[in-house]
Amino acid sequence: MLKIIIPTIMLIPLTWLSKSNMMWINSTIYSLMISMVCLPLMNQPCDNSLNLSMLFFSDSLSTPLLMLTTWLLPLMIIASQYHMTKEPLARKKLYITMMILLQIFLIMTFSATELIMFYILFEATLVPTLIIITRWGGQTERLNAGIYFLFYTLAGSLPLLVALTYTQTTLGSLNMLLTQYLTERLTHVWGDSLLWLAFMLAFMVKMPLYGLHLWLPKAHVEAPIAGSMVLAAILLKLGGYGMLRITMMLNPTVNFMAYPFMMLSMWGMVMTSSICLRQTDLKSLIAYSSVSHMALVIMAILIQSPWSFMGATALMIAHGLTSSLLFCLANSNYERTHSRTMILVRGLQMILPLMAAWWLLASLTNLALPPSINLIGELFVTVSMFSWSNFSIILLGINITITALYTLYMLIMTQRGKYTYHIHNIKPSYTRENTLMLLHLTPLLLLMINPKIILGTMY
Amino acid sequence: MFRGALWLLAGRGCVGRGLSTRSGGSTPDWTEKVSEIKKKIQSALPGGAWDPLYDTSHLPPEHSDVVIVGGGVLGLSVAYWLKRLEKPRGAIRVLVVDRDHTYSRASTGLSVGGIRQQFSLPENIQLSLFSVDFLRNINEYLAVVDDPPLDVQFNPSGYLLLASEKGAAIMENNVKVQRPDMAALPSVITMVSQEQESATDRSPSLTRDIRQEGAKVCLMSPEQLQNKFPWINTDGVALASYGFSTSSSRMQTSGGKEMTLKRIHEVHVKMDHSLEYQPVECALVINAAGAWSGQVAELAGIGKGPPGTLEGTKLPVEPRKRYVYFWHCPEGPGLETPFMADTSGAYFRREGLGHNYLGGCSPTEEEEPDPGNLEVDHDFFQDKVWPHLAHRVPAFQSLKVRSAWAGYYDYNTFDQNGVVGPHPLVVNMYFATGFSGHGLQQAPAVGRAVAEMVLKGQFQTIDLSSLLFSRFYLGEKVEERNII
Repeated sequence: MLKIIIPTIMLIPLTWLSKSNMMWINSTIYSLMISMVCLPLMNQPCDNSLNLSMLFFSDSLSTPLLMLTTWLLPLMIIASQYHMTKEPLARKKLYITMMILLQIFLIMTFSATELIMFYILFEATLVPTLIIITRWGGQTERLNAGIYFLFYTLAGSLPLLVALTYTQTTLGSLNMLLTQYLTERLTHVWGDSLLWLAFMLAFMVKMPLYGLHLWLPKAHVEAPIAGSMVLAAILLKLGGYGMLRITMMLNPTVNFMAYPFMMLSMWGMVMTSSICLRQTDLKSLIAYSSVSHMALVIMAILIQSPWSFMGATALMIAHGLTSSLLFCLANSNYERTHSRTMILVRGLQMILPLMAAWWLLASLTNLALPPSINLIGELFVTVSMFSWSNFSIILLGINITITALYTLYMLIMTQRGKYTYHIHNIKPSYTRENTLMLLHLTPLLLLMINPKIILGTMY
Repeated sequence: MFRGALWLLAGRGCVGRGLSTRSGGSTPDWTEKVSEIKKKIQSALPGGAWDPLYDTSHLPPEHSDVVIVGGGVLGLSVAYWLKRLEKPRGAIRVLVVDRDHTYSRASTGLSVGGIRQQFSLPENIQLSLFSVDFLRNINEYLAVVDDPPLDVQFNPSGYLLLASEKGAAIMENNVKVQRPDMAALPSVITMVSQEQESATDRSPSLTRDIRQEGAKVCLMSPEQLQNKFPWINTDGVALASYGFSTSSSRMQTSGGKEMTLKRIHEVHVKMDHSLEYQPVECALVINAAGAWSGQVAELAGIGKGPPGTLEGTKLPVEPRKRYVYFWHCPEGPGLETPFMADTSGAYFRREGLGHNYLGGCSPTEEEEPDPGNLEVDHDFFQDKVWPHLAHRVPAFQSLKVRSAWAGYYDYNTFDQNGVVGPHPLVVNMYFATGFSGHGLQQAPAVGRAVAEMVLKGQFQTIDLSSLLFSRFYLGEKVEERNII
């Protein structure tokens, strides 16, 4: 794992010491190379995990997420080039440094063995993200957004710290490899229920669960493009990953403690999809769609069946790529017209046809068109939810329909129809933007061929 | 940091206020103390350029979808219709900026306030018709829930236009044809006059185009108009100067000729009497600056180019001063007085119920007063206005002028008709200006037309494509023969 972490740390001096005209190129190329280095981790020799050291390990759940993280850094750097052009050089370097720092923490988080180390790095990821949102965001509301983001996540994860330290003192070790073999089972007493809640709350807030999701539309909308990308693609999955790891220790309390969260997720998934139909702000629509997809992941993790775990993992990877791609597309609109309102920018297909192709593909994957990996995730989750409770198929079916509705609404609103007069002289798509979209789409489409690498531990 | 952020957020509502009220309400003292401490520290230390947490709640927002330059009746009308016609509610953020929130020199507040439909241009007639309908049913459009209904002093007393001998008979016949039921108060009265002014060119088209729908109205005061737009962020930002930050791209027309198209990225709004300015990032700019539209257009780079080309075509709107006189005449015409426009160009209307009248006259080209200030020339009344009035209405031979004021026409020197719609080169600037004295009466309809152009890409209810900017370049005058 050090072969990934040390080069990522060394990206920081690379940024600061590069010549100003090579800075973006250097950081992009070297971070792409680091993501190539991550690929061999996919070679899992045994069913269990690839144990690299006392501190770091990677198994078939964390490897796809690690790949996603390292793949995303060059994409974030590519996407930020335009809106940073007017900043002074030192501030540009600082921005890239923040992204790299976030990357380091995320890599270590996904590969951590000890749960306390996971927790520390989980919290540490908040700091660079907060800096990116509040310093480089678009509007004045970003201060509000940053505060919501910070305090929601902190308040949720403080109980997790208490629970982890308590478990460490009682169990003796929080090594994830060992906790799988935990024989002491949690009971149904109040204390254990609260312990369960303490463990799960941090990840629920991060996912986000429907009742605790208020920070997400704010943070996603006000963040600059790199911030939105990393938030949507990775940080939400931190919650999912944490939940997947922790539920192994928490049986059988989860069987009855899960009910309120299942209800909130099912209801929330339909609600947030419906809100998407009424959104006027493009980024806000994509943010709410993230909440809706993550609600599926929460439900899948809480019912704890092999199919649902496979679906959750696949959905996390697929949604990460799709959501990040949609944010990049929305940002390409925003950079040209300085407005995120959908009705003011219409009919782009006539003006930017190649970008319209990317919009189409992104929308198709977002609405889980077969045979994309989004469908695999959603389908597995739906099927396992049906076997958990027959009634849930109604809500899940409604959600899938509404997802298709709002995705097509977004596509038709921005791409089809007569274009508005005042956009007819926008700059044509840069090669950089097309590269960005293609780099998002390539893994998304290629994974259709071999989805078993993202199906996680239960495959 | 938390307190500082709390103080900063106090202007934005939500978190700041909620948290402070929960903690017991001592936050106002805290914020004052914090700002005092900050000031003390700042005065002690040498000044720095970076002050990240200062309060900007008095400045306009950093971002707005549409910025309307000019807060008079046209600007506010465009803002109203944009919010009214947007499909999902709350979609567009509209910012109206005006240089003077007291409206001391705005044409809106200084207008005589007559509305008529006797235009020769069909578009003008349709605009006025809709505007009359708007004002008649103003409570349908502008009423606010739980507020008393609006009273805009709508006085349908008729509009009297005078024509000369030649066209009069035809006009009367046509009026009878178009309006077979003359039971109600006749809305157009034509009188034969003794002057030899040839109105032949105006009468046939007048009678052809006039639809006798409603009566004429005295417009309401602009203060009422601007108070009733609840969804619009009209902060009343006072500013002394504007700037635009544009980007340009060279494109080729289909004929191979190179043109430079521009986009406005930001509007720099400078606060009055201070050095603060706020760049407002926007997608669209609507130029409704009235008499100063020409200057605002020049800021965006319209008209900078070799003359005779599209780049070099300026927006030909300039301020022209017009006087309005207010007099009292005890034997003057009573309640049935229409708004009367004499053939000489002098006009007057009844104001209130105490035999007071408002009126004036448009000076000829040679006598144009200097638009640099708003001083009133009383000799103009004595020499030019009073004789005609006295001739037309004998009772006005003895009258007493109570007061007078001057206002600007946003005079379109090209053809005295409004400019509506986008500019061909500066792609995201729309115009709603240049109405040369009939802007106030057509404001609701023009606002709706511009909102339709922005939201739907074309004019839907009233087709104003003959009033687009491109006519200045192509040289097609859209002339109105009935200019007061």
